[in-house]
Amino acid sequence: MVLLAGLLLGACQQEPTPAGPPSPTSAANGYGATERAFVELAIATDEQALKLVELDGNTALIENRRTELVELRKLLDAPYVNNHAGHDMPGMPTDAEIQLASTSPDARKQFVRTHLTESLEVLRSAGSAITHQPTAEVVELMERHRTAELAGG
Amino acid sequence: MKKPVLHLAAIIGLIAAALSIPVAAQGEPVRVAEFLAECPISHRLADDPIVLPNLAGASHSHDFFGNHSTTARSTTPQSLEGQSGNCNPVSDISSYWVPTLYRNNTAIAPTGVTFYYLGEGVNNPGAIQPTPYGLKIVAGNAKATGDHDSIARWSCLHAGHVNPSKNFVTCPAGTMLETYLDFPQCWDGRNLDSADHKSHMSYPVAGGCPSSHPVSVPKLRMVLRYPVSGSTSGLRLASGTGQTMHGDFFNVWPRAEMERRVRNCINVVMKCDHAGNHG
Repeated sequence: MVLLAGLLLGACQQEPTPAGPPSPTSAANGYGATERAFVELAIATDEQALKLVELDGNTALIENRRTELVELRKLLDAPYVNNHAGHDMPGMPTDAEIQLASTSPDARKQFVRTHLTESLEVLRSAGSAITHQPTAEVVELMERHRTAELAGG
Repeated sequence: MKKPVLHLAAIIGLIAAALSIPVAAQGEPVRVAEFLAECPISHRLADDPIVLPNLAGASHSHDFFGNHSTTARSTTPQSLEGQSGNCNPVSDISSYWVPTLYRNNTAIAPTGVTFYYLGEGVNNPGAIQPTPYGLKIVAGNAKATGDHDSIARWSCLHAGHVNPSKNFVTCPAGTMLETYLDFPQCWDGRNLDSADHKSHMSYPVAGGCPSSHPVSVPKLRMVLRYPVSGSTSGLRLASGTGQTMHGDFFNVWPRAEMERRVRNCINVVMKCDHAGNHG
């Protein structure tokens, strides 16, 4: 009986309604899934980085991260959700690294440099993928900051 | 008619059990709604085409299975069509990915990777529809902070006495660490993805799909086996503890192959082989 019911239902099976384009791929103003993902990632990364550079006491880096966070938050089109907390993301210092940096100046210098070089890679990738102009401008600002910070040693 | 048949089945079962012969070996098909794809690791990238679309190198590390061409830019099924994968069956060119497992800083690839498509979880497998082409599903909680917000399951292959846990478990020497992840199987019938990558899908409630997500699709169960035993010290996922295990699925099964399997295996409750056939 189950078999018969299954066969009948199988025979009557309907093609699922073709879904429209995935909702998050683009928005009318060009702030789409890629921009949203970048902004959320960059906020998560900068918030962690700020904890690290505050330990280092480098005022230029602290000021730059804070400025970036302000600009990034302006781009949000929905309440911010940190989707990357606790993850080993490129350019994002982990809690364990920040803890170690708080006791070891050598580790602190190394982690700051790793943050800068890795996040610059992510920004270059984002620069080639993002089309929304206001987001692209923040990407450029962040690239300029890191390039100067690395040059400053 | 019914009673004697059941009687006979019971007797065959008893004899088979006494002789340790699987009942299926007697020529009876196994009445489990299932088809499968086995897809070894294909490549490893710091990409996530669902959560961080187009942002190459911006993610934590993932192990990719199935389609060889998946990158951060694989955001449409068309981008994966016509590419080859490493699944058995070869017709499955879908993409699947999970966070990379590490022991300290050494990445460990799973050596057994099976994706089961099951008819369980809903009371009416006859009504299960083929998984829509291009559907994206994320399962598990990459942000889990403990057992309370995790659906991860870790256990040991060939060591059933070790209790499963939501975090890593210590597996005896000679056994393997394994993890199971069940994907949500109720679709909203409209969206192939959603802003949070979750809300277009739901788990069933009391054996049925809720009215908000009325379309029942096969339940995807991912089973990974890692060549890991002994202490859990130093074990971590790229997303954190074992509790953060999560999986991503981008369905690019050719429509006809998916439809045939749902019809032949899931709707009629039959255990199928890699080719989607049953005995």
